[in-house]
Amino acid sequence: MKTIKLVIADDHELFRNGLNELLKRHDDIEVIQCVSDGEELIKFIKSNPETDIVLLDISMPNMDGFGALNKLKSINTNVKPIIISMHDEGNYIAKCAKMGAYSYLLKNTDQEELVKVVRIVSGGKKYFSPNISEKMIDYMSDNTVSKDILSKKETEVLTLISKGNTTKEIAAQLYVSSRTIETHRANILKKLNVKNTAELIIKAVNMKLI
Amino acid sequence: MLSITFYSQFSEVLTNRILQQLNSIKTLKRFQVEKLIKAEWESFMSTSDDTFSGDTLKIRLPHKALETGIYDFTKYDFNNEFTIGLVDASNGNYRVKTIPYKKIMNILLERTGMGETGESYIVGEDYRMRTQSRFFKDSTPHSIVVKTVGVTNALNDKLGKGLYKDYRNIDVYGVYGPIQVENLKLVILSEIDKDEVEAPLENLKERLFILMFLVIVIAILISLFLTRIITSPILNMKNSLKEMAGGNYNEINEFTKNSNEIKEMFEALDDLKKSLQGAVNFSKEIGSMNLNSQYTPKSKKDVLGKSLLKMRDKLLEFRNNEHISRIKNKRQLVEGLENERQRLSRELHDGLGPLLTSLKFYIDNHVDDKELRLEMGKIIDNTISEIRIMSNALAPSIMDDFGVGAALTNFTKDIKKAFGVSIIFEDLLKPVNSKITKNQETHIFRITQELVNNTLKHAKAKNIRITLSEFDDFISLFYFDDGEGFKEDHVILGSGIINIKERVEICNGKIQIQSKPRNTTFDIELPIDNENN
Repeated sequence: MKTIKLVIADDHELFRNGLNELLKRHDDIEVIQCVSDGEELIKFIKSNPETDIVLLDISMPNMDGFGALNKLKSINTNVKPIIISMHDEGNYIAKCAKMGAYSYLLKNTDQEELVKVVRIVSGGKKYFSPNISEKMIDYMSDNTVSKDILSKKETEVLTLISKGNTTKEIAAQLYVSSRTIETHRANILKKLNVKNTAELIIKAVNMKLI
Repeated sequence: MLSITFYSQFSEVLTNRILQQLNSIKTLKRFQVEKLIKAEWESFMSTSDDTFSGDTLKIRLPHKALETGIYDFTKYDFNNEFTIGLVDASNGNYRVKTIPYKKIMNILLERTGMGETGESYIVGEDYRMRTQSRFFKDSTPHSIVVKTVGVTNALNDKLGKGLYKDYRNIDVYGVYGPIQVENLKLVILSEIDKDEVEAPLENLKERLFILMFLVIVIAILISLFLTRIITSPILNMKNSLKEMAGGNYNEINEFTKNSNEIKEMFEALDDLKKSLQGAVNFSKEIGSMNLNSQYTPKSKKDVLGKSLLKMRDKLLEFRNNEHISRIKNKRQLVEGLENERQRLSRELHDGLGPLLTSLKFYIDNHVDDKELRLEMGKIIDNTISEIRIMSNALAPSIMDDFGVGAALTNFTKDIKKAFGVSIIFEDLLKPVNSKITKNQETHIFRITQELVNNTLKHAKAKNIRITLSEFDDFISLFYFDDGEGFKEDHVILGSGIINIKERVEICNGKIQIQSKPRNTTFDIELPIDNENN
């Protein structure tokens, strides 16, 4: 039977050892190396490109998980990184997924789950648990990068201007300072290349911004 | 002085004039007398028939032979009346004639230009007067003894003039000289009383004195007047200056200004006063550390003003330096604190966390009883999540990796979950090329944390709105809650507003706080591109 060749990259020796112990009990998984930072990992992978999976921590000295993920993409290898981290925030999960992680695990994940994920990923599939997925989606929905000319806030400001609100009223409604509104307004004028509010409204209507 | 010189000159001239006139009178009289005698003599000598005996001539001639000549027979006259005798003893005849006293007196009585006291008279060698005195008309001239300086000198054949005492013992101006006819020993004198001569002088003197007196009185009056109009303002000015020298620039009275010069002096004094007051006010301002007050030096030579300005600038510099070093100290303190927190947070998160997971692996590996294993795993999971919360509260590692926007999003999410308030955070930082610095991020995170904590602790708010916006030149953090609000000056020290203000100050930012029930806002602006941050 073909074993899953696995590398553990974590700066905590105790953790590495614990994980190693745990994985040893599964015959289909072979821990071929333990490294303590990203640089060591890249060096090892370069000389052992046949590695299947790397269990990669994010917080590490010298080169952290993100750096390692980046580097791995540029090496001709089939290694599939699984992030195993203490961070449970959506930002980390989304960033790792974007950078090519096949899965994202929290360090206190049960061993059953861990082994399950290793097996799924070794088959070439990405896997994110429902818990992790939810966090990631939460984050992504909050941070959609708009490709519109105006930002979401600027559009709001523009709408309120077109309704005849004063700067002060807009500030109160949007929970920002008057100066912020003035700056937004100046930025909108600049972006739409107009000189005054009247021109702004006409152009905004023409562009179907409001 | 002038009048005295003038007077003495005038008196000298007058005296000379008088003496000259007297001299001419005397000379005239002398010539007339001499002429008369000579004429008598010649007529006497030309007629030889006239003979006189002593009896007819009322003279008692001495019985000795007299030679031909002219004689003074006064002492032989019965009445001692002035008699000039002509004797011709030639040819054996003995003829005698007298010149009538009246003829001589007629000459001498002609007193034109002699005033009230002027007279001319003849004195014999016996110092007795020969002709009638103007003053003693009743007494015989022979009885009057005239032994004066003039007579004495004239008897010694001297001509002269001068001021001396006459026979009445009165000061007179006199001119004297001998009558030179044959062997007559007579002197003629023309005199005038000094008093009369000097009467106009006395008059002048008197007038001069009166004039002098008047001048003095007027001078005194004028000087009194001048004193009033000049001295008293000057004295007042002196007092004012003294007051000013004593350091009092305020209580200087207004004075009446009489003349232009005095007025100008007072205006100058007033200007001085004003400029000093200006300087005093300015230094007061500086004294109360109001260093933005302005002062324009009165002129290029306003040394006081200039040094005050210099002082102000120095103080400003000191204050700025002090401010800078204070901010620096604070910043270092806060940075130290933040670093320590971050270290501790990392230690918990990355140190203790993995150890606990290791423990969990260990349990998984070594505890065979599945129920016990799950139980222990659960406890460890709770511990880990507790540590994660602690670590995030100390310093969220997410801020390091994803910035303050992510950290605050996370933070507000946690708060919402834990406290159930409506809290909305809007992250309007630039998604790419954000110019916010690590330190600004830390401060913004701490400020927001503090604000949220305050709201939760004191305000009983239902809604919290936080907006973090980034623009080209500044970052705006706007915080709103609809809680009870507070009065800024009543805020208790512990409530964190001081910390917030300090952090804003460290970032060279601005903060505006407005609070009323159901509407409390914090408007914080931090500048971008400030090298100090």
